[in-house]
Amino acid sequence: MRVSKLDRQYAIAGYIMMAPALLVIGLVTIFPIGYSIWMSLNNIQSTFNGFSFTFNGLTNYAIVFTNQQFWQALEFTVFYAIVTVAVELVLGLLVALALNQPIRGRGVAVAVMLIPWTLITVISAQMWAYIYNGIYGVLNYLLMQVHIIGSPVLWLGTAGLATFAMMVADIWKTTPFVTMILLAGLQLIPEDLYEAAKIDGASVWRRFWHVTFPLLRPSLGLATLFRILQAFGLFDLPFVLTGGGPGTSTTSIAMLAYRAIFNDGDYGPGTAVAVTTVGIVIILALASLKALRTQVGEVES
Amino acid sequence: MIDPAAVVRRSKARKPPSPRESMSRRNVIVRKTIGYVVLVLMLLVIIAPFYWMVVTSFKGNLEISNIPPTLFPHHPILTQYEQAFGVYGFGVYFRNSIIVSVSATIVVILFASLASYAIARLPIRGKAPLMVGLLAISTFPQVAVISPLFILLERLGWLNSYQALIIPYVAFNLPFAIWVMRTYFVGIPKELDEAARVDGANLFTTIFRVILPLATPGLFTGGVFTFVACWTEFFFALTFNNDTAFRTIPVGIALFSGQFTIPYGTIFAGSTVAVAPIVILVLIFQKWVVAGLTAGAVKG
Repeated sequence: MRVSKLDRQYAIAGYIMMAPALLVIGLVTIFPIGYSIWMSLNNIQSTFNGFSFTFNGLTNYAIVFTNQQFWQALEFTVFYAIVTVAVELVLGLLVALALNQPIRGRGVAVAVMLIPWTLITVISAQMWAYIYNGIYGVLNYLLMQVHIIGSPVLWLGTAGLATFAMMVADIWKTTPFVTMILLAGLQLIPEDLYEAAKIDGASVWRRFWHVTFPLLRPSLGLATLFRILQAFGLFDLPFVLTGGGPGTSTTSIAMLAYRAIFNDGDYGPGTAVAVTTVGIVIILALASLKALRTQVGEVES
Repeated sequence: MIDPAAVVRRSKARKPPSPRESMSRRNVIVRKTIGYVVLVLMLLVIIAPFYWMVVTSFKGNLEISNIPPTLFPHHPILTQYEQAFGVYGFGVYFRNSIIVSVSATIVVILFASLASYAIARLPIRGKAPLMVGLLAISTFPQVAVISPLFILLERLGWLNSYQALIIPYVAFNLPFAIWVMRTYFVGIPKELDEAARVDGANLFTTIFRVILPLATPGLFTGGVFTFVACWTEFFFALTFNNDTAFRTIPVGIALFSGQFTIPYGTIFAGSTVAVAPIVILVLIFQKWVVAGLTAGAVKG
């Protein structure tokens, strides 16, 4: 096919128009990720005239992988991600299916569901910290009124309970958003398909597995991916709610990297933790897309 | 991309049950009941903690730590608000958040509309790998770039400045905005571009006078998502702008602490003021937020 002069001009214009966006993205994401990998392979000392780099191969990774705290933070983050993402997806799907019935007031529901999404996580954390407070928190008061507990519980000061309390705060804030993604997906499924399945005598259960679920897969894949990534970046909530404690029981992997770099000045090992996180996130993202058989091509088309 | 209005229309225009379906009328009642019960429960669960936060901001310090807690303030007072803005300088955080979020959103909309128009319409190479690449970049956690960016900003002397946050926010929100806007551009008939061209309009007139006005829904969607992301961002803001004069609302509220006790009343007064504008904004643009939720999952 002959490439016209106008086409060539338009192509050049196209590259110029993309330049500002690609330049910023490259400068702030791609270049620093490459630089992070380089930093993780160096012994870095902060000196009076900047930073001094000495190549030391995989030493930082050896330091990280033999560190008890790293494995503890990784275990906590993985456990936290699996539980919260699973609960949010199941709960979000159930609520979305319930709201997809022919009922009034769905507009109000959608409006209210948007509010937790707009809430600054730090504010949500302060809010829950006050609710969970071991001395005057409203949760202890309510649970004691209905005799579920006999005396005040230190929700944020007890190792297992703090993790649980943080998960509840996360599930409260994020489930509405997951519900909205799934509800939007449900509303795109043509009514005729259900009618046809009904006429064929398919039960509610079969209609769900053979009509709803396959057609909802792209939305489910999107919600899962979005949530896994967010859960692995977990930082704001433990920073305010527990400070990573009690002890180090709620220290997430992002928090560990942050503290190593900015509190202890261990740039090399801290960056090695960050790079390892990226690797894990990529593997998990690919695995979750594959599990839900949602392909990027399918999404992009 | 779906038209959210069409979804609402369709759900309102459900057919009345035909005689053959009358057997399943009981079924419909059961389904409706479940729907309403879940709806009411969900609204209560979402609203209760918010209610508690707002109510607490109108209580005095003694009442805040009182047992039993009070469902309504005994004597609603504005002292906490005066404390937050008068004594603790919460207004500075507010101003910083607005400057950073508004600037980043404007730049994102500008850069993303140019880039996505080029990807949607112009004969450039490597569109598919570019779109997949953008998707991949938007999955990287912030912690992956934090130390190089910190070193870079320190060298430039840009720690504790507005650009220290605006530039990273632009970069991290561009990929999604490009994805969403491209979907809208693809949906606009190509004949419009050609008609404009035949009328003698050059490329930039075509984009800014003909196509962009038609793609405003896409600009709204990209803009609202970017604004919410910037308004709520904490990790970069904490690391790069630690100085009181440059703290944004999330950092201000996270590092807010009294000498002996946690000043919950003041924290919640500031928080309530921080929540109000964005809730109003998102409710105004609700339709376009819903459209954005399906943008990634639906064929463009």
